[in-house]
Amino acid sequence: MPYHVYMKSHVARGVRILVCVKQVLDSAETVSIDETATDETATWIRFEPGTVFRMNRFDEFAVQEALRIRESIPGSVIDALSLGPDRVKKTILKALEMGADNGVHIPVETKKYILPYMRASMIAEYAQNRHYDLILTGIMAEDDMECQVGQLLAGILGLPYATSVIYQDIEANKGTIYVEKEIEEGRRECMDIDLPALITVQSGINTPGYPSLSNVLRARGQQIEVMEPSRCADRMDREVITGVSYPSAGVSGTFIDGSPQEKANALLDILHKNAVL
Amino acid sequence: MNTPMYIIAMHIQGKILPETYEAVSFAQDLGSGQKTIIVLGSGSQLSSMANELSENTGIDVVAIKAQYLNLYNAESYKKIIKGIIGHGRSACICMPHVSMGYDLAPGLAVDLDAACITGIEAISPDASFTRSMFGGKIRVQTRPLDGPVVLTVLPGAWKGFDNAPLASGSVDILSVDEPPLTTRTLEIKASTPKDMGFSDAEVIVSAGRGIGSAENLLHIEDLAALFPRSAVGATRGVCDLGWLGYKHQIGVTGNTVAPGVYIACGISGAVQHLSGMRHSGLIIAINTDAHASIFRIATYCIVEDVNTFIPILLEEYKGQS
Ligand SMILES: Cc1cc2nc3c(=O)[nH]c(=O)nc-3n(C[C@H](O)[C@H](O)[C@H](O)COP(=O)(O)OP(=O)(O)OC[C@H]3O[C@@H](n4cnc5c(N)ncnc54)[C@H](O)[C@@H]3O)c2cc1C
Ligand SMILES: Nc1ncnc2c1ncn2[C@@H]1O[C@H](COP(=O)(O)O)[C@@H](O)[C@H]1O
Repeated sequence: MPYHVYMKSHVARGVRILVCVKQVLDSAETVSIDETATDETATWIRFEPGTVFRMNRFDEFAVQEALRIRESIPGSVIDALSLGPDRVKKTILKALEMGADNGVHIPVETKKYILPYMRASMIAEYAQNRHYDLILTGIMAEDDMECQVGQLLAGILGLPYATSVIYQDIEANKGTIYVEKEIEEGRRECMDIDLPALITVQSGINTPGYPSLSNVLRARGQQIEVMEPSRCADRMDREVITGVSYPSAGVSGTFIDGSPQEKANALLDILHKNAVL
Repeated sequence: MNTPMYIIAMHIQGKILPETYEAVSFAQDLGSGQKTIIVLGSGSQLSSMANELSENTGIDVVAIKAQYLNLYNAESYKKIIKGIIGHGRSACICMPHVSMGYDLAPGLAVDLDAACITGIEAISPDASFTRSMFGGKIRVQTRPLDGPVVLTVLPGAWKGFDNAPLASGSVDILSVDEPPLTTRTLEIKASTPKDMGFSDAEVIVSAGRGIGSAENLLHIEDLAALFPRSAVGATRGVCDLGWLGYKHQIGVTGNTVAPGVYIACGISGAVQHLSGMRHSGLIIAINTDAHASIFRIATYCIVEDVNTFIPILLEEYKGQS
């Protein structure tokens, strides 16, 4: 479709937004390496029953920003997508409770780490031909800390992108989005980008709100679309994980033992000795 | 590794970021392949940056010049770098894991059909790269398969390049004229000043999300009040929640501090926070999770709930004096 035709049609219908939400382990959880792994399963992390998972915080900001855009452009639609095992449906539900319109699950049942390029390829497979005007991701997943999937997804789909977006102003009728990216030392790089585009969201761009009761009730009854098994195969991987380990012991400081009172007194001693008290 | 290696220089407003030199050191450690530094820019700034790079490293520099390259733009960088390297050729492209680095690397990797590995902290003998996951609780080794590879190097993991070379590298300046089509970088806005008196503080007491609520900041403030010259810091997470203003934020996108004593309360120890406070004299960390990464750089580690521990500490202090 020629570009000007594309623009006219999307002003009339609002913008179509895809927001990618990853489920991560809470930062206070213990992370255990799976010692039972075999050659076929490859060593990765073992999750005990009862482990606390939640939505990646950067993705909460992305969902909230999508809601703000929908508020400013009537008729806009937000699809929230998560890739992973069955448990990630809870994170999709959270996005629906926050106010997303539709939930999409890309099911992947594996005990291995799913590499960023594979994840981006599968998400691209879903997004291709669905004519999103804007795709939002977080800047980084708190668990794998790759800072990759958004940019890879944009690259695979051939979309322009901006990372670490801390402010955006979408101008749907002009077919552009103005963004400010957070760069070194608190400076901001300002850009104009043609739609369709992808942005990765930095925390602090907004203040994620609490789900409203009506959204919670609506989300509960809602179907989550499940993508057909992906046609992407392992052979797409461009890297192999060769080892997983705990950081070497012995590089940590001195643990102060005892009762809370004993610890408090030991700490006061240290502060006295360092002449700050 | 003896494939050709390219180091992409990162700069803001005519100044080479020091992390660029760390990426050069990384490339030197990685292999003996032919090395080239690529720098993109405009005007006289470009030639002085190119000369600086070749003099400081002894490595050949390819400098690409165009008016529209006065500011970083991923679309232009991807196109130009792909033009220099060529598609499908085996090559290793290194850059620092700074904002421009993680912006560019994955996009460039897609265009080059390359592997992309980010935030590299170490190289192992089997040519795997080590990076952290789960906030530093796990280390993962990963090895690129055959073909080109794009790598980003974690700031601080390598020393800058300081052994002065015997001779400068060559400098080639080339012009291009293919402005980006779908993106326009407009300007760089300066940061808003955020002086919290951190530089005068002897002790900084910092709050993380682990304090649980804005009300519990009282404990942090009470603890800070014990010291004659102190200030209250915070993680980005705490500022995002609105518990403290962003001027309190410490870390790679906030303030960099190095007080005599840094007390981290309910802070997990994400690398982005650590890089803003790791040079503090004495680091004391209080966290309920004995595996928290903050304990790996702390001098003294206290496994306690901050909200009960600080009141006890203040009680004991009163008892002593
Ligand atoms: C590009 C980029 C730039 C960033 N820049 C910065 C930056 O400049 N500064 C910064 O700080 N972050 C920055 N971040 C965010 C960073 O990655 C972390 O998300 C953030 O530092 C985590 O903050 P936190 O430690 O407060 O929260 P969490 O990671 O959630 O940790 C909370 C900790 O509190 C502990 N805890 C829980 N309850 C208690 C209790 N009762 N008592 C004691 N401990 C408790 C938990 O065990 C946990 O370790 C940046 C991220 C990105 C992607
Ligand atoms: N499994 C996933 N499901 C949905 N979104 C994801 C997934 N993995 C990564 N993302 C998105 O990509 C961003 C960056 O993740 P990463 O590259 O893993 O650091 C995240 O903030 C998410 O928005």
